[in-house]
Amino acid sequence: MGVDLIFRIAAIGILVAVLNQLLIRSGREEQAMMTTLAGLIVVLLMVVKEIASLFETVKTIFKLN
Amino acid sequence: MLFKITGSLIVILSCTFLGFVLSADCRKRPQQLRDLQSMLQMFENQISYLSDVITEAFMRIGKVCRSETGIFFTGTVEILNEGRNISACMAWEQAVRQNIKKTALNKEDEEILFTFGKMLGCTDLEGQIKNIRLALDQLKHQEVKAEVSRNRNEKMYRSLGVLGGIAVVIVLM
Repeated sequence: MGVDLIFRIAAIGILVAVLNQLLIRSGREEQAMMTTLAGLIVVLLMVVKEIASLFETVKTIFKLN
Repeated sequence: MLFKITGSLIVILSCTFLGFVLSADCRKRPQQLRDLQSMLQMFENQISYLSDVITEAFMRIGKVCRSETGIFFTGTVEILNEGRNISACMAWEQAVRQNIKKTALNKEDEEILFTFGKMLGCTDLEGQIKNIRLALDQLKHQEVKAEVSRNRNEKMYRSLGVLGGIAVVIVLM
């Protein structure tokens, strides 16, 4: 898994926050909301693999399969 | 590792450059609209006080102009001088169509120029002057709108370019 993923998610978070503020200040609020949602979706895509492997691990540990 | 760094630098630089180009376009538009208005004003003066021929008036105006919008006038003169027996209206329209990409003007400004060109050289002096006044009014309107749009968008495009480049690098690497 590595610390790499965490750093990337943090960087995307900062970027999305900056973009959000920038677009809101320029008066384009719908686009600000769109970039926030886009950032969320990107992070979700990055994380979904880890969640899948988490469920696998839980199943094998508790022998639930 | 080195490839990654150079690749990401190239992506960031190119996105920044793109943002700067869009921002510069936005910045130049009000100035070019102002120049276009002053040139049309000169044209009106030339034909009403000096009774000039269209080609000579355009040549003179095109030379005096400080920005890229003079290229419409010099382009029209070139097309007329090619001697294909084409009317002033068609020559102006062709010149505008060819050169609009070199300026920072957008579709609405182009429409105004086309409307102006349709009446060019087709009516008498009074008609020409009315036509010019109409075009001047519409351009003034566009200039006010462009100024507002510039205040909103100029900084935004620049920041958007840089941040977009960084976002691409982070997501893809």
